Amino acid sequence: MFGEKAVELIRELHRMSDGQLPAFNEDGLRQVLQEMEALYDQNQTDVNEAKAEGRAELIPSIKLRHCCLLRNQRCLAAYLYDRLLRIRALRWEYGSVLPPNVRFHMCAEELQWFAQYKKSLASFMRSFGGGEGLDITQDMKPPKSLYIEVRCLKDHGEFEIDDGTVVLLKKNSQHFLPRWKCEQLIRQGVLEHVVS
Amino acid sequence: MSDALSDHGSDIQQDDSQEEDVMTPAELIAKLEEAWLNEKFSPELLENKSEVVECVMEQLTHMESNLQRVKKGDVKASVHRMEIDRIRYVLCSYLRARLQKIERFFPHVLEKEKSRAEGEPSLLSPEEYAFAKEYYANTETYLKTVALKRMPANLQTVDLLKAVPEPCVDSFVFLRVKERQENILVEPETDDQREYVVDLEEGSQHLMRYRTIAPLVSSGAVQLI
Amino acid sequence: MDPSEVEFLAEKEVVKIIPNFSLDKVYLIGGDLGPFNPGLPVDVPVWLALNLKQRQKCRIVPPDWMDVEKLEEMRELERKENTFTPVPSPYYMELTKLLLNHASDNIPKADEIRTLVKDIWDTRIAKLRLSADSFITQQEAHAKLDNLTLMEINTIRTFLLDSLNCMYKLRSNLQPGSSKGQFTDY
Repeated sequence: MFGEKAVELIRELHRMSDGQLPAFNEDGLRQVLQEMEALYDQNQTDVNEAKAEGRAELIPSIKLRHCCLLRNQRCLAAYLYDRLLRIRALRWEYGSVLPPNVRFHMCAEELQWFAQYKKSLASFMRSFGGGEGLDITQDMKPPKSLYIEVRCLKDHGEFEIDDGTVVLLKKNSQHFLPRWKCEQLIRQGVLEHVVS
Repeated sequence: MSDALSDHGSDIQQDDSQEEDVMTPAELIAKLEEAWLNEKFSPELLENKSEVVECVMEQLTHMESNLQRVKKGDVKASVHRMEIDRIRYVLCSYLRARLQKIERFFPHVLEKEKSRAEGEPSLLSPEEYAFAKEYYANTETYLKTVALKRMPANLQTVDLLKAVPEPCVDSFVFLRVKERQENILVEPETDDQREYVVDLEEGSQHLMRYRTIAPLVSSGAVQLI
Repeated sequence: MDPSEVEFLAEKEVVKIIPNFSLDKVYLIGGDLGPFNPGLPVDVPVWLALNLKQRQKCRIVPPDWMDVEKLEEMRELERKENTFTPVPSPYYMELTKLLLNHASDNIPKADEIRTLVKDIWDTRIAKLRLSADSFITQQEAHAKLDNLTLMEINTIRTFLLDSLNCMYKLRSNLQPGSSKGQFTDY
């Protein structure tokens, strides 16, 4: 049935839990576009025939095909837009560098959209405090206590705290760090909050 | 203990040209917190408060630079550091809440900005406006390149204003009254009900539709909770 | 709203501490604190009180209402009345939790207090569920919610508001795709 393939694309996203990004379905997209082309061509032929030969009985099928075209367009837009929202959420979760397995699931145009989104967000955040900037992707949770104890899950190298001290984040080392400084590293799986 | 932190109770002067009087830093923080909660709970984007944001940023930067001169581990410094963390959290959370709405409703936000009458305050700060425009262009380009331009000739555009959901101003909200209001009209929910008016007493709390009280949120007469 | 954010707001409430250190007045952005002198009670926000307590720099004086006798009275009244009775603090639940978790050694009869506050909370939440239910069945357009705390409102916020929105959409019989919701409404 017409529109079936387009709905399947949407189901594919729907089946994934929130925040997960399945591989970009280029094949599915192409199939829908092919179906649209076929519908459109058929309509062009019928429209011409209806006009030239006055065959009014063709009009209902023309209308039906047009509805199918609109539906396909709408489904594709929904598929693509929902993926953008998921990609946007990844920027907030992982920071500006996405893990390779996530990038692998994105198409070239999505990578471009993401690069531009990062740029817009960065210049937005830089604008605060007379150009000094404010990273609003930090401080995601209300501050609880000044410092928390963290364990390092992988080698990360040197890490500067805002009072200027530098700590070396080595695998399995434990540190007492300002909570808000390590939030993102915890989300990235570099650090683990040691709950005493 | 250095005296670096002792010059801090002083008032901050608002821009000289403004008729507004001096606001103390404490009042400034209270303003930020109000704006934060209102923005969190209102279904639509509220008027920007960039002057509050900038003043808070100034306070934070000033305090941070003073803290650089204080030795580590000092009790006083840690108290200041905690307060900075708390204020920065509210500030970031506030800006995030706005940015999320801008992204979620971008065609509508831009449309509203476009149709804004002269002299009417802008919803968006200049930076938010720039962001929204870029977001719109970026998303439009993306949809075009990846799919629309590969579609039949009569289907190569999507009206984003129709395609992206609008904020639902008919949502219910919880609110606390800061300045007494009389004769607020409550519209009926069903056909067999009739409209009626309520008075909102100072300090009382209510559950009602956002649309009814939206102007009171902007004017500061009620606080969303 | 995340409960941690309500707790964050509760931490702004003022509580009395008895410090064991001296410190001059601290000029915070949000107002002045201190001076701190060993043994002399001083008012500070809860976030600071908890931190100083963690670092063993003070003793926290429980708020007046955090008292078995007073709470018992409140519990009885709350059970007797159909409406929500006034609470001793707009953040009574969060403060009880915070203070009992971090400073229970400074609060006499901590366990009894915990139970009493929990009882008051449960009674109020039961009332709240009933009123939410009747608000929906009566299809009301306005409700007065005096004496309810932010944390209490928060427990029903998402569920109640989503239900109301959903019912509104059903009632106003919005045609899918007519003008709104194209992207979300597959």
